[in-house]
Amino acid sequence: MRAAFAFILLAFSCVALAQPSEQEVKAAFLFKFPSFVEWPQAALRAGPIVIGVAGAEDVATQLQQIAAGRTVQGRPVEVRRLREGEPVAGLHMLFLGRSQSARLAEVERQAPGQPLLIVCEWNGALENGAVVNFVRDEGRVRFEVALDAAERRGLRISSRMLAVAQNVQGKL
Amino acid sequence: MRLPRLLRRSVRAKLTALVLATTLLALLVNAVALVYYNVRDYRETQLADVRTQAEILGRASAAALAFNDREEAQRDLSTLQARADIESAALYRPDGTLFASYLRAAEAGVPSRAGPSGHSIAGDRVSLFQPIAEKGDPVGTVYLQARYGLRERLLAYLGIAALVMMGALAAALLLSEWLQRAVTAPILEVTEAARAVVERRDYTGRAGKSTEDEIGVLADAFNSMLKEVQTREDALRLADRRKDEFLATLAHELRNPLAPISNALYLMQAAENDPQATGEARAMIQRQLNQMVRLVDDLLDVSRITTGKLALRRERVELRTVAQNAIEAVESMIRARGHTLRVELPPAGVYLNVDPTRLAQVFLNLLNNAAKFSDPGGRIEFLAAIEHGELVARVRDNGIGIAPEMREEIFDMFAQADRSLERSTMGLGVGLSLSRRLVELHGGSIAVRSDGIGRGAEFVVRIPAQQSEARPPLREKVSKNAGEARHRILLADDNEDFAVSLALLLRGMGNEVRIEHDGAAALAAAGQFRPDIAFLDIGLPKLNGFDLARSLRALGATTDSILVAVTGWGQPSDRQKAKEAGFDDYMVKPVEIEKIRTLLGQWSSMRGMLSSAGPPVSGSIHSAMPISDSASCSVSPASNSPPPAPPASRSASASASVRNGPRSSLVCFDSQ
Repeated sequence: MRAAFAFILLAFSCVALAQPSEQEVKAAFLFKFPSFVEWPQAALRAGPIVIGVAGAEDVATQLQQIAAGRTVQGRPVEVRRLREGEPVAGLHMLFLGRSQSARLAEVERQAPGQPLLIVCEWNGALENGAVVNFVRDEGRVRFEVALDAAERRGLRISSRMLAVAQNVQGKL
Repeated sequence: MRLPRLLRRSVRAKLTALVLATTLLALLVNAVALVYYNVRDYRETQLADVRTQAEILGRASAAALAFNDREEAQRDLSTLQARADIESAALYRPDGTLFASYLRAAEAGVPSRAGPSGHSIAGDRVSLFQPIAEKGDPVGTVYLQARYGLRERLLAYLGIAALVMMGALAAALLLSEWLQRAVTAPILEVTEAARAVVERRDYTGRAGKSTEDEIGVLADAFNSMLKEVQTREDALRLADRRKDEFLATLAHELRNPLAPISNALYLMQAAENDPQATGEARAMIQRQLNQMVRLVDDLLDVSRITTGKLALRRERVELRTVAQNAIEAVESMIRARGHTLRVELPPAGVYLNVDPTRLAQVFLNLLNNAAKFSDPGGRIEFLAAIEHGELVARVRDNGIGIAPEMREEIFDMFAQADRSLERSTMGLGVGLSLSRRLVELHGGSIAVRSDGIGRGAEFVVRIPAQQSEARPPLREKVSKNAGEARHRILLADDNEDFAVSLALLLRGMGNEVRIEHDGAAALAAAGQFRPDIAFLDIGLPKLNGFDLARSLRALGATTDSILVAVTGWGQPSDRQKAKEAGFDDYMVKPVEIEKIRTLLGQWSSMRGMLSSAGPPVSGSIHSAMPISDSASCSVSPASNSPPPAPPASRSASASASVRNGPRSSLVCFDSQ
């Protein structure tokens, strides 16, 4: 019921606000990434898919709205706001806002091989260890993917997602 | 339902029509089934194909939809260009709004909003909405519209079916033409033979037999029928020819005696006072008359044979008697031709159960032939004996013999081996045929052996003897003078000449005779005349002979009179009727005076015996039917020394007869 409500809300907002905000689009993308990504078996036992958000309150809020009551691959989606210094253990996906480049370096250092889909939103993030990075392309939100980073973290990204990516680094 | 003319007339056309019809039906059923199956299958395939296409498209575009990448979606859609049958396609967002579309042709269009999941077929198009989900998460809907192509497909199928059908029919026609030849060719052969028979009356043709099947059997049957028809036709022709020849011979034979009779009569008139000349003339007339009587008797026998009415009247009789009767009858002819006759007969006392008259007739025929077909001065042998329980009688001569190919034919009716010979009396060509029939009636056989033309011939008659050890029946000597006794005799006959001549004869014998010319008058006269004996014609006017006999029997004055039927009819049924009407005896015209004399002698002796001996001795009663057959007295001797009882005559055997009822008694005579 709540899912249907949220869906209708989302649909309404999409139609009513013909131009959704950047944060809304990113939140929607974040919600859809798990559909196109495969985690190692060990990382995905029972339980929800946990998405950590740091430095992007709007996105976290939007994501929480989208994910409320919905499932991806049969699992519920849990949105966790990360405070300063909070560890990334137990996360499946991590979104870092523009201000979090230092945090990216820290995560890279702390858990370099953890199956964690790191999504950033600044230029050059892929070179610093991010797996997916939002970019703006002709006023549209798009994303680029670093395959080597994904491989290092034991993640497999769907070719169909790669097909819509603006840029794919480190071809297999 | 009437078949077209061609089909009714030709087996071939029928077979062709049959093959074509069955082939066409089979092909039609086949085509309908195939087309139906194909249409169904095509529909399923098309739907599955469109679904698969939608699935592929959906999966490919899921990411584009999910990440709102129109260009990518457009690229995905444009891959459909490879599919000529897909006219338009579209992707819708999860909220149902149009995301991206593909139009193959400008005039095509897509719905502005996503419809419910499922397919629909409109006209020649199938359209399909199919939801897209990525790992259970709905990301949108894909829409495809494709040309169904069923109509083209159907047309193509029907075209193929028509082509196949035409090809198959042509092949069936060729094959059936080829196979039919196996069926129709033999039929046509039989038909051709049948047509030859119908149109040209040609029975010599034969239907060729080329198969062992039913038609082969038919051909065989047809051929054997043809053969049979031909045989019968030949036989008919032969019989016809024989009959023609027979008629010619008959006319000739009947005409022959008339000239001598006429001459004799002239002689008798001219030389009235010359006893020797008139005597010779009388003898001549008698001989010729006997010849004619024999001819007519033969004719009667022929008619009896052809109508199957020839029956035997068996009785116990001594073989010697029968043989001697035949010999006596032929003696004069043998003498006349200067033959010598050697006779070997078994000793007296051999009795057979045969028809004496008929057996004598057989012997007479054979002896007659031997005499006739031997040149003057020939040697003839007549040997009769009992061998192994059967009577074997051989008649041998050293005459003209018989050609081997004629040996069987001479037994055929009207067959005459050599009609070119100038034999004194040719006869009618029925003698041997009649003889064979008579012997066969006795259960025996007759065979001929000849070494060829000019080498003589031998005929052998074999008859089962059925000898009896019983005592020969009681015999009585008939008084020689019995015929001279006086009687009152009534003659009833509408033929005045016959009646008057017979009356003259009877009166000459010392009898008292009264003549009446119709039945009623005869009955009226009988009351006062009280005849001892009445000779009654059967075909009398006013009251016929049968009724007259019944009336006379009822009349007190004539209850015990002896009634004799005199008629031209000699059939057994007539005799039976006569017996039932109360006649004591039966005579077939012409009545010979000898027979009447004999009868009178027997009757008077019987009367004398009755009056002297009283009641008859039961053991001596003979149960034979007294009515006799004077028509077959063909063995009367031609000599003019009349014995009291001419041994060969039928009436002689009839004299061994009995009267029924209280008047019954037994009269026998010794033919020796």
